[in-house]
Amino acid sequence: MNWRNVWLIFRREVLDQLRDRRTLFMVAVLPLLLYPALGIGMMQLTVLFSEQPRTVVILGAADLPPPQLLDGHRFAQAWFETNTESQNKLEVITDLPPENADTENSKALSADAEQPTNTTKKSAASPADLARRQRILNQAKELQVLIEQLKLLNPAAVERGRPATLLSPELEATQVQLRKTMSELFKQSGIQVLIIIPPDFDQSIEAVKQQLASQRSQPGEDSAKDAITPLDPTTPLAPANNFDYPRPLIIRNRADDKSVIAYTRVVEVMESWERQILRDQLKAGGLPEQLPTPIRAHVVELADSQQVANNVWSKLFPAMLIIMAVTGAFYPAIDLAAGEKERGTMETLLICPASRTEIVIGKFFTVMGFSMATAVLNLLSLSFTGKYVSSLAASNLSRNVDLTLPAFSSLVWVAVLLIPIAALFSALCLALATFARSSKEGQYYLTPLLMVTLGLTVFCLSPAVEMQPFYSILPVVGPALLLKERLLGTADSYLLWLYSIPVLITSAGYSLLALWWAIDQFSREEVLFRESERFELKLWLKQLLRDKTPTPSFAEAGVCFVVIMLLQFAALKMFQQPLSQAKPNELGGIMLKLMIVQQVAIIATPALRMGIILTTSVRQTFQFRLPKLRYLAASIILALSVFPLSLELSHRLAWFFPPLPESMKQVGELLSKNEQPLWLLLVAFAIAPAICEELAFRGFILSGLRQGGRHGLAIVISAISFGIIHMVSQQVFNAALLGLIIGLLAVQSRSIYPGMLYHFLHNGMQVGLSQVQTQLTKPGFHQVFITVSEGELVFRPLLLLLCALIAMAALTWLVSQPYPPREESPAPAN
Amino acid sequence: MIIRAGPGFSLERSFCREDHWQLMIQLDRLTKKFSDFKTGERLALDHVSFDVKPGEIFGLLGPNGAGKTTCLRILSTVLKPTSGSAIIAGYDVATHPAQVRARIGFMSNNTGIYDRMTAWELVEYYGRLYGIPQAQLTQRLETIFSTLQMNEIREVLGSKMSTGMKQKVSIARAIVHDPPVMIFDEPTSGLDVLVARRVIHAVESLRDQGKCIIFSTHIMREVEKLCDRIAIIYRGRILAQGSIEELRDTHHQRDIEELFFELISACDAEEAEHLRANEDSINPGLDDTSTNVEVRP
Repeated sequence: MNWRNVWLIFRREVLDQLRDRRTLFMVAVLPLLLYPALGIGMMQLTVLFSEQPRTVVILGAADLPPPQLLDGHRFAQAWFETNTESQNKLEVITDLPPENADTENSKALSADAEQPTNTTKKSAASPADLARRQRILNQAKELQVLIEQLKLLNPAAVERGRPATLLSPELEATQVQLRKTMSELFKQSGIQVLIIIPPDFDQSIEAVKQQLASQRSQPGEDSAKDAITPLDPTTPLAPANNFDYPRPLIIRNRADDKSVIAYTRVVEVMESWERQILRDQLKAGGLPEQLPTPIRAHVVELADSQQVANNVWSKLFPAMLIIMAVTGAFYPAIDLAAGEKERGTMETLLICPASRTEIVIGKFFTVMGFSMATAVLNLLSLSFTGKYVSSLAASNLSRNVDLTLPAFSSLVWVAVLLIPIAALFSALCLALATFARSSKEGQYYLTPLLMVTLGLTVFCLSPAVEMQPFYSILPVVGPALLLKERLLGTADSYLLWLYSIPVLITSAGYSLLALWWAIDQFSREEVLFRESERFELKLWLKQLLRDKTPTPSFAEAGVCFVVIMLLQFAALKMFQQPLSQAKPNELGGIMLKLMIVQQVAIIATPALRMGIILTTSVRQTFQFRLPKLRYLAASIILALSVFPLSLELSHRLAWFFPPLPESMKQVGELLSKNEQPLWLLLVAFAIAPAICEELAFRGFILSGLRQGGRHGLAIVISAISFGIIHMVSQQVFNAALLGLIIGLLAVQSRSIYPGMLYHFLHNGMQVGLSQVQTQLTKPGFHQVFITVSEGELVFRPLLLLLCALIAMAALTWLVSQPYPPREESPAPAN
Repeated sequence: MIIRAGPGFSLERSFCREDHWQLMIQLDRLTKKFSDFKTGERLALDHVSFDVKPGEIFGLLGPNGAGKTTCLRILSTVLKPTSGSAIIAGYDVATHPAQVRARIGFMSNNTGIYDRMTAWELVEYYGRLYGIPQAQLTQRLETIFSTLQMNEIREVLGSKMSTGMKQKVSIARAIVHDPPVMIFDEPTSGLDVLVARRVIHAVESLRDQGKCIIFSTHIMREVEKLCDRIAIIYRGRILAQGSIEELRDTHHQRDIEELFFELISACDAEEAEHLRANEDSINPGLDDTSTNVEVRP
């Protein structure tokens, strides 16, 4: 590696990008302008934005009890507690006689008569307004009639607390029709909320007040009856009846946003009005005002403005950092790789003395530089704009929402964690862009990359997601969560330092892996000189079925994996249903049967089908050939020796992974409880997976992956895909490790059977052990190797050591076996 | 004399380093297979052998898709050969690509120049990549720019240049490190007569400096005018090679264009015969079977 060449290439690429106006605009100008522009836009919007007043109709307004709810065509100012501006956002139309409701208006009219200068405006609006109000009022009254009908039909629909009446089908149909008519009328009328005050509502309220007052004046008297009778002749009976007066009705439409907004405001008004009436009633009864709120706690706020700000930044910064690192890397990467192909300068560069690795690394550093610059500039611009706008808003609302910038130490962490994130995305983008034939094709790859990144970002932003050992080794998630915790500043600092180690190490690892991929892409002729081929679906399908090869292609293997994943996803719901309906004692049996069905239908069938349709040699694809005996022996030895090691490993690493979901625990219990017959357990846990998963992963997928001739890589990828299919992170890890061993067995023995045998033995032992676990507690010779403590199997170090030695020996032997020369020289199909 | 690849070359190869070469370029049964999306594997180069001496222009003559570009791309180490070997200035392209790249100047239709760099910057950039010390490089650039009459486009960006200017810059870029071997892959295609003429002159003057030159084209006229020896390549195979006079004598055809047609139709006939004999035999994988020959007046 000649670093001078890397430097030369880096310098040229940077210069080249800086001379490109588009890149400069994306990287520097856009962030510097975007956020201030957004800030200005927001300020402008708040100034310009004026909400249309919503229409509220009150029928029976004459019966409103005091204190005064209305003030002309508005609710009275006093009832708006938090936001006084809301008063103007509701227009109230009542059925009061106009001279009463429009007192202000009429006053204004009379005033206008004296001052002709003002007349034009107000008197011109008035007749039209009056007509409109009258129209709305008429529609409201129509609605009221309909409501009465509905009440007759089904009181429960209108009044809370009434028992629901079972309606005959005809009446039910009528009710549905009635509701439909009402909703239609409501929509046409332009009313957002309709309030119907029951007749003599004010008297009902007054009666309560009177009663309370009289009870106060005659505390000794037992019978309240006498006191009330003269006051309220309509309800002369028990005091309870006094409170059982008809309540107002509010009609709204929850599916209509305008109605929802108006409703929330009306409810706020009504509630504070109600509180006032309640206070009056309490006063009348001589009771303290605090009576209805016996447990109203006082809140002491500890967070200072710095912490509030930290909370905001801890959500904004990681998200912005990741998204901007991707976008910042993507466009330069496309220009540097696909763009170079497109402009025909790629070959010029390839024939210069710099090696491919040097070229890629030079380009990689360029992309990374732009990625970091974009992220930093965006963050800076965002935070300063955010701070400025929030301080403006704070002075407006006289509330303390000042966004102080994070502490310097946190900002250092932003810079440190930006490096691995930018490196990972730069290498990924460069690899993708190298693969693309043209800039246009490159752009297509942005969307999936952004979607995945956004998914991860949203995951990290969720307040419930905290740093965990397992998350710390995930790409993107690890650095993002660490940054979040750092900015939040609430977590234990020592712990965060500890987490920093795996986060930085694994991030560097992922970045190197991605860089390796990019270099690999850049060194491949078929990628660099990919010709644009016209794609036609029909032609392609024809070609796919016509020019079959003995074994599937790399892409077909990938498709097979995706199909299995999708089927598994689709089947989740299908399998949940019978499980949720099952009786508890049948649950285990059903679960086992479903597991078998899942194995056969979702894993084996797609692989076999694809094998039959897409290849010419099913035998070669799935390696259905008898292996040499020594490979079968090796698989038995390996299975026996690796099993305790794998159990021990997953036991030791249990802390590392997120806890198992409930459904997985159920499966575990299924095994340990001796409810199910052993044969069923064996079929479900050992035989079915051994056959079905092997057919898919060591059969179709591994053959396809191996077509490029990279057997090691094929084993690794097939093992990872085998892991992923197990969904739960802990099992993903275990399965991937086993996948490595079984993959090696399958490749070296050129047969699928040793792998099946291994898989069967491994799973079978799991079933067997959980069956005999209870017997292992008894003392005996086996305790040298294995004991049970606290219901868990414990392997003794001696056993583990022996197993490790045997496994090592077996694996070494397996690897050292000469790889069989490419079988029956895969002659081209044509 | 028609040089065929023989065992004799492999003996010479051992002492073919820098100073001792007699043959600057040696190809021995060079073969390249491509796997194609549509047609499966195909042979783009089928056991191609030839060699070139210093001070000689070797013409590679063939229709489009004959394998010229593939062959020259292997020589420039951009592609790797499937089998066979190619030795340039004593270095094998497969095992010592960096050394080979340092000793060749390569120019083709596909070696464009950067839009956002000036002529001077671009040539200087490549000079630096070749590891030429700065002082020497400046001097060399001055010489090149004045001999190629490029001084007026020194500060012109690539995007603002005409095709002719770009071609000049490409030549300057290819010779900046004064390589002993020059490879020109259809350098005149798409150029007008004036520019093409200038390119031809440049190639001639390079030959006079003692460079070893491979010049691929599908234009007969250029071959006749320029090349000391030629090889006619078609469907990845060399149909004939030697000096033009030798070819005329062997095939009893004075007109080089007619000669070309005769060879190619013979090859096509043979291929058709072969196809008939073997129904599902390999597809030659050429763009088309018509011979795409452009003849310049």
